[in-house]
Amino acid sequence: MAILEEPIKEILTIRNYVGGEWVESKGEIVDVVNPATCKVIAKVPISTKDEINAAVEAAKEAFPDWRKTPPVARERCLFRLKEMMEERFEELSRIQTIEHGKTIDESRGETRRGIENVEVGTGITSLMMGYILEDIAAGIDEYVIRQPLGVFGIIGPFNFPFMVPLWFAPYAVATGNCIIVKPSSEDPISQAKIAEMTEEAGFPPGVWNTVNGGRTVVSGMLDHPGIKGICFVGSTPVARDVIYKRCGETGKRVIAQGGAKNFLLVMPDADLEKTIAACMTSFYGNTGQRCLSGANLLIVGEGLNEQEYNAFYKKVVNAFIDAASKIRVGYGLDESVQMGPLRDKSKKERVTGFIEKGIDEGAKLRLDGRKVKLVGNWPHTCFLNPTAFEDVAPDMSIGSEEIFGPVASIMRARNMDEAIEIIHGNPFGNAASIFTSSGKLAREFQYRVQGGNIGINIGIVAPMAFFPFSGMKESFFGILHGQGQEAVRFFTESKVVIQRWF
Amino acid sequence: MEEPNVTASAILSFADKLEDDSSKFYGKLAERYADDKETFLSFVEESRKNKVLVIRTYQETITDALEACFIKGLNLNDYLVETTLTEGMRYPDALKIAIKLEEKAGKFYSDAAETSKSLLATIPSAFRKVAERRNSRRLMLKSLLDKAVGPALK
Repeated sequence: MAILEEPIKEILTIRNYVGGEWVESKGEIVDVVNPATCKVIAKVPISTKDEINAAVEAAKEAFPDWRKTPPVARERCLFRLKEMMEERFEELSRIQTIEHGKTIDESRGETRRGIENVEVGTGITSLMMGYILEDIAAGIDEYVIRQPLGVFGIIGPFNFPFMVPLWFAPYAVATGNCIIVKPSSEDPISQAKIAEMTEEAGFPPGVWNTVNGGRTVVSGMLDHPGIKGICFVGSTPVARDVIYKRCGETGKRVIAQGGAKNFLLVMPDADLEKTIAACMTSFYGNTGQRCLSGANLLIVGEGLNEQEYNAFYKKVVNAFIDAASKIRVGYGLDESVQMGPLRDKSKKERVTGFIEKGIDEGAKLRLDGRKVKLVGNWPHTCFLNPTAFEDVAPDMSIGSEEIFGPVASIMRARNMDEAIEIIHGNPFGNAASIFTSSGKLAREFQYRVQGGNIGINIGIVAPMAFFPFSGMKESFFGILHGQGQEAVRFFTESKVVIQRWF
Repeated sequence: MEEPNVTASAILSFADKLEDDSSKFYGKLAERYADDKETFLSFVEESRKNKVLVIRTYQETITDALEACFIKGLNLNDYLVETTLTEGMRYPDALKIAIKLEEKAGKFYSDAAETSKSLLATIPSAFRKVAERRNSRRLMLKSLLDKAVGPALK
């Protein structure tokens, strides 16, 4: 099978995009490495505090005029951005593969999900409308206006370098705010390309800024009084202890999405073939580096006696292992490949650390992804193959902590009550799915489970752009979520006007 | 034998190349066999449209295809056809190659529609549409062959 052409031929020098200008940073320059080939593909700056401050000033300066720009004109900028993204769909997708490692199909899926958010943002003339009620008292009318707040910071994670900032950015600018996007310094190319397109799409200087970097930029955003709110997607410790806490202290609005440990329940009446197919993309898609990835597979013996349950458990486990062992691993631009590498060596080491812990804690290793077998001759540095444990207990490290890699922990639960108890015993609450043909069980699951995104016969519970990306417990900190109407509310103040004319 | 897993991207690339190769092939037929030039040029244009339809459908529905995992049951090697036109090749022989190409292409799109029927309806629907177009071409080519050599000599 042919390997698709790489979209970048020479090492790219990434700069910040501030106030409509491409600006060199005085900060340290670090390499961006293709995790499949281990080749340097770009150089990115770790910007300084002065540089983030300058970006906030540029955004603040742009805000008054952008706010006054009619929503329909703001919408047109997004329409043009969407068209450019469609035209460059393949280039943008291949960039995600070389900077992150995901397969080309996964990258194209990410591009589509990102574009869908821009599309929803183009409906701002409807989404942002207020409402009015006449005659709330004699001769008095009352109405609500949605107004933008000013400047927002958007801090993206490494696992979806193109899409995640777009859960927020289109809504922020469509509602009349200005933004500063800080991409992950591990894979910042996608956001640099988006910045290029915003320039062409006609966003005025200072409306959409991109500042590359790390902690200094994040701290600068959190500390700056000119920033009205922060959108963050990353790990739970940072979401909870840094972003949410600091936004509370400085009075900023906040959407802070953290980690996950998602459970997938397989009930005895599930369609096994379709369930296993959905599990493969859930557990091993994006190499398990997804906050919606399946992590724990709970095989539930609802209504079965001991003997029947053991037979059912064995059947599911064997089908799962059989399918996982056939997943082809390699460079994401190779079209025959179904799973790419982890983002970098340290992430692989973290995952292998969990595999070792799992063995030490007594789980049964059924599929050992440390024995790397690849399609093609690539350095093994960042690669792992699919891994699966069975007989995992909920309190083991591999059953309770976020691994963020291609590792499945298979567990037992005698019935639905026990399964839900196990789910609730875990601190995270991002997503949970049930595979069943029983509407009654599905409804009970949906009703009782403390998880933000619930799937019924769905492996990856990814909300579409016009629904909020939810989350509960240690997976989400804040009130309103990204995407759709909730994002519009997050980025606007509801001003109430009560009027009477004498 | 076990059914192979194929990525959505591999199917897309196959369809993309199939339409490009078909365009080139019919372009050459149009140059060589002037009597039916217009028909062959219409196939070239139709292949361009087929390619646009398939790529657009894929790009707009790829998220659904991913959720449904890998596509089983398509062995892309089964649909390959040798379409080289040798120097001085007789018109009926060239038409026979074209018919073979359309048979394989039609089968590929029909099978792709069948294997993707659990995905969003637009995916199998696009494949079916191209399969129908390819089938129409095949019938048209057969009538050209009949005209060229007479039914008894086929």
